[in-house]
Amino acid sequence: MFNTVEEYLDALKVEMKGSDSALMQDALADAREHLSTALAVARESDAELNEAEALKIIVDEYGTPEETASAYREVERRTSPSLKPTAKPRSVLSRFFGIYEDPKAWGSLLYMLISLVTGIVYFTWVVTGLSLSLSLAIFIFGLVFAIFFIFSLRGLALLEGRLVESLLGVRMPRRPLFIQKGTTWFEGLKTNLMDKRVWLALVYMFLQMPLGILYFTLTVTLFSLSIGLMAAPLLQLIMLFPIVSFGSVQYFLPIWSLPVFLLAGFLVWTATMHLGKLIGTWHGRYAKWLLVSE
Amino acid sequence: MTDLTAQSRKFQKELNSGTSSLVLLSVLNRSREPMYGYQIAKMLEDNGPDLPLMKQGTLYPVLRSLEENGLLESTVEPSVSGPPRRYYKITEDGRSALTEWLEIWKQTKKFVDAILKG
Repeated sequence: MFNTVEEYLDALKVEMKGSDSALMQDALADAREHLSTALAVARESDAELNEAEALKIIVDEYGTPEETASAYREVERRTSPSLKPTAKPRSVLSRFFGIYEDPKAWGSLLYMLISLVTGIVYFTWVVTGLSLSLSLAIFIFGLVFAIFFIFSLRGLALLEGRLVESLLGVRMPRRPLFIQKGTTWFEGLKTNLMDKRVWLALVYMFLQMPLGILYFTLTVTLFSLSIGLMAAPLLQLIMLFPIVSFGSVQYFLPIWSLPVFLLAGFLVWTATMHLGKLIGTWHGRYAKWLLVSE
Repeated sequence: MTDLTAQSRKFQKELNSGTSSLVLLSVLNRSREPMYGYQIAKMLEDNGPDLPLMKQGTLYPVLRSLEENGLLESTVEPSVSGPPRRYYKITEDGRSALTEWLEIWKQTKKFVDAILKG
């Protein structure tokens, strides 16, 4: 039925069409690991092995692509993602303020802060790696560097995926993409260069810096604004510090307005949490779109 | 397996969905070294009944979900023969879950046996 492991994987890919792309990637990695190992064991005991026949027995024990696909879907259905909030019907007000107990909002804000650092690291790495790969291409060792750079992109993409999954709650691959063994390094490089995932990861890494700067600035600005608003009454009442100043003229706020400032600061922060969650959802979708593709 | 009707296969599948977690945890609890999927599948095949109860491919998603729930942990190591292998090891949480699950299994087994005997 299947002459090579690759044929089985292709059939599995067809069977898993429509399921989560990250789940598919995991299923393919597991199947590849098992079938290749089983085939290698069979080959050890019989050097003149008919690969297709051996594979038939192995697949018989492993399960058809259809059975395997349904097993993954079944388990994924039973395991709910760790960040999925339990849905309860709630009023508008409690939904608005309930954001404080929503792990997804906190995760998104944390991601937005971290993305400045990761964004700069990715950008620097991509620009350095790309320019060095191109400029060293005239030397033999330039190719070695290019291979190293491309492999590092896959690693970075996996790392970013783990970050996105744990902070934004979007299912991302948990296994690195595997490249067919037994090919020469030149063929390996060729497959990599033809692989659109490598190029999409490169684009993602590149865009992550402007996005990271935007996310970080937005979070810090809104956070400072709300802290400032909340701190205003405190500064004026305790430290006798005028809040409003135009040039050399300084004003004290009327006493009645102080609770309003406190409330406004709190509302800004609550709204920031909602904005963070929204951006987190968007970014999760965008990361999945660029980093995980069939 | 091929002789079973579709209904019986479904019944077997439903039974497996619970027992496979228990079996995998107990295998990894007994093993001193971390094990990879193929190794576990071979071990089950050697110790299991003549008629295999489950396809080996169904073990992998269960291993993965056990890991997700913190009952197992895994590391990926390169192999000589092919793609990298994922080695699974039981965690402390896994051990305590196994103790509880074994108790549940004993109770269930006793109950079902008692009913079946009439």
